[in-house]
Amino acid sequence: MSWVRAILLARSLSRGWGGIFGATLTGAPISEVPPQTPQSFHCGAATHNSELSLVPGPPEPQRKPIKALSPYEDLFRQAPGVERDKASFVRTVQNFGQHNVHKRGHVDFIYLALRKMREFGVERDLAVYNLLLDVFPKEVFRPRNIFQHIFVHYPRQQECGIAVLEQMENNGVMPDKETEFLLIQIFGRKSYPMLKFLRMKLWLPRFKNINPFPVPRDLPQDPVDLAKLGLRHMEPDLSAKVTVYQMPLSKDWTGALDPTQPHIVGIQSPNQQAALARHNPARPVFVEGPFSLWLRNKCVYYHILRADLLPPEEREVEEIPEEWNLYYPMQLDLEYARSGWDDYEFDIDEVEEGPVFAMCMAGAHDQATLAKWIQGLQETNPALAQIPVVFRLARSTGELLTSSPGLEEPARPPPPEGQEEEDTLQRQQQGQS
Amino acid sequence: MALIHKLLNGTYILRKCPKRSTSLHPFLGIHFADYCSSSLQKPVAAPGKASSQRKTEGGLQGHHQKEVALDITSPEEKPEVSFDKAIRDEMMDHFRRLKDEIVNHWIGPEGRPLHEVLLEQAKVVWQFRGKEDLDKWIVTSDKTIGGRSEVFLKMGKNNQSALLYGTLSSEAPQDGESSRSGYCAMISRVPRGAFERRLSYDWSHFNTLYLRVRGDGRPWMVNIREDTDIIQRKNQMYSYFMFTRGGPYWQEIKIPFSKFFFSNQGRIRDVQSQLLLDKISSIGFTLADKVDGPFFLEIDFIGVFTDPAHTEEFAYENSPEISPGLFK
Repeated sequence: MSWVRAILLARSLSRGWGGIFGATLTGAPISEVPPQTPQSFHCGAATHNSELSLVPGPPEPQRKPIKALSPYEDLFRQAPGVERDKASFVRTVQNFGQHNVHKRGHVDFIYLALRKMREFGVERDLAVYNLLLDVFPKEVFRPRNIFQHIFVHYPRQQECGIAVLEQMENNGVMPDKETEFLLIQIFGRKSYPMLKFLRMKLWLPRFKNINPFPVPRDLPQDPVDLAKLGLRHMEPDLSAKVTVYQMPLSKDWTGALDPTQPHIVGIQSPNQQAALARHNPARPVFVEGPFSLWLRNKCVYYHILRADLLPPEEREVEEIPEEWNLYYPMQLDLEYARSGWDDYEFDIDEVEEGPVFAMCMAGAHDQATLAKWIQGLQETNPALAQIPVVFRLARSTGELLTSSPGLEEPARPPPPEGQEEEDTLQRQQQGQS
Repeated sequence: MALIHKLLNGTYILRKCPKRSTSLHPFLGIHFADYCSSSLQKPVAAPGKASSQRKTEGGLQGHHQKEVALDITSPEEKPEVSFDKAIRDEMMDHFRRLKDEIVNHWIGPEGRPLHEVLLEQAKVVWQFRGKEDLDKWIVTSDKTIGGRSEVFLKMGKNNQSALLYGTLSSEAPQDGESSRSGYCAMISRVPRGAFERRLSYDWSHFNTLYLRVRGDGRPWMVNIREDTDIIQRKNQMYSYFMFTRGGPYWQEIKIPFSKFFFSNQGRIRDVQSQLLLDKISSIGFTLADKVDGPFFLEIDFIGVFTDPAHTEEFAYENSPEISPGLFK
């Protein structure tokens, strides 16, 4: 009797399949059902798109393409009061199975659900992916004889399974035993989704920890914490101290940060402090910025306090007399070389730049805020009171700065396309506390 | 065709005027034929001096005597747009390069003495100290497939580094077949020898790639392509990731060549093999981290060196489940 059941299931599924074809024929744009080229099978087949799009046409005018809603779009439209989160997403997916027992059009639904995951914020949730894989009817797509093994059995469904796994891979989600069991139940052990699963299990752990400067997945929302994280990320010296010079006014019922008092967080290491104390007051120090730093997908801006490079004649090498410490040498010149002929130095003069004395991240990029930072720095660096400070700031908008060459050229006279303000000397003679 | 015609004319003229000095180029133009015939009536003392009859030819000849490099004209002279001259200069340059190659072969590999090449342990391959160094690189972005990313390359502060900057936009082009987009790349040009022959780098004595860069915290990808004539291998490359720290300090990145994984047409392949270093064609940096926004990368220089502490040959094993054919 099982074969009768199988035939009935197959018939209803093919009807569902016809439903999908119907959707495409009625003019749904191709972007709704992304055509999976053989590339996704990892077969090494030739690319289709390389030949076709070598000569792109002129850019089309900006107009919104008229998108026909896919058949299950309204399932994801929540009631006005309901927030889009994991619970509602899970509810929607489970409702789909309840609405039609034979799971007609599940491929379409799964593609749509994959697209909607980002809105609901569940794209990195393994349980949700397993639930989505659960939508597939089980045991139907497994090949049963040699011919089904040779030909790709149920190619659209296999492509859909691969699409689910590919989205998992793109978001860095590692599949687990439940995923493996589901895939075996749905597609069988020799199928393409199973192959992709094996590849994910092989390659994702290999590349999981290769970042020597890891940034946590969940970045802090508080700008002060984010600034502290960013400054610690940039500073290689572990003994550097982070100081918060100014906290933003606490969020009250308006819920917005007060723009007149942005946060200022600075960092300075003891070596930099000592260097600043040794700095010659006749030479000015510069406040340069803002430079961009990307933490995962957030961009923060920082400023630096640096001095110009001393000309070679003024550079002094600190010499430690040999008898300073009799117990162990103060200067250890351990060379990598094995003998006289080893030479691991590159035959090039490295770019030399002036020393950096401190870094800071502030909510605003104007001179007033940075002046407050300098005043805060003076508490720990009293020598700064005598040194002239020059502000070299690029054009600041407070928003995400578009790529402007001015960002990296604070030392040049203003180029015609960028706008830079260079302030005159500011003597911080009045040592404010 | 025109060149051969001129060649024949030139040799004919040479036979006709034996007094011509040997420093003159054997390829003469039709105009030179006339010049020579007129010179038979009025012998010119030194061909290097600009003659009064034809100012243009005199200027051209003056060029030849100076042995100036191609395409760089001194600012005082008006740039002469002459097709014959361009071809002549190009041919001269290629033959000069050929001569250099043949002569260098006697000195040693790439023109350096053998002991120097064998004992070398750190080599600077690309440096960015002038505009001509930037010409060795090409920048591309997904504009070629219709995307919206922009990327530019220019010299950085004080001509001491190169700055690659731009904006990444992962908006997919609406051409019905691309669902993802957003990449920018900087690829080195393939080194060319005489007559535009394709040359390759030989890094078999080294085992680590060294980069001195200053980034903005974004992860980049380093791709190395091998030099090959086989068409199916044109899209194969070896890649690895380069994580920039961000910040004002210069960052030294060392990537051993054993860590590069093999990929074909943009996909990691199941059968992984080691990167062979004897014929490297080009290196490239790609940014495709799916985050929209501006980026920059400042590069000081790129070199290769031998790390004696690194003894690994290849970092990736093949798996018997995925590629059972290798384990029979």
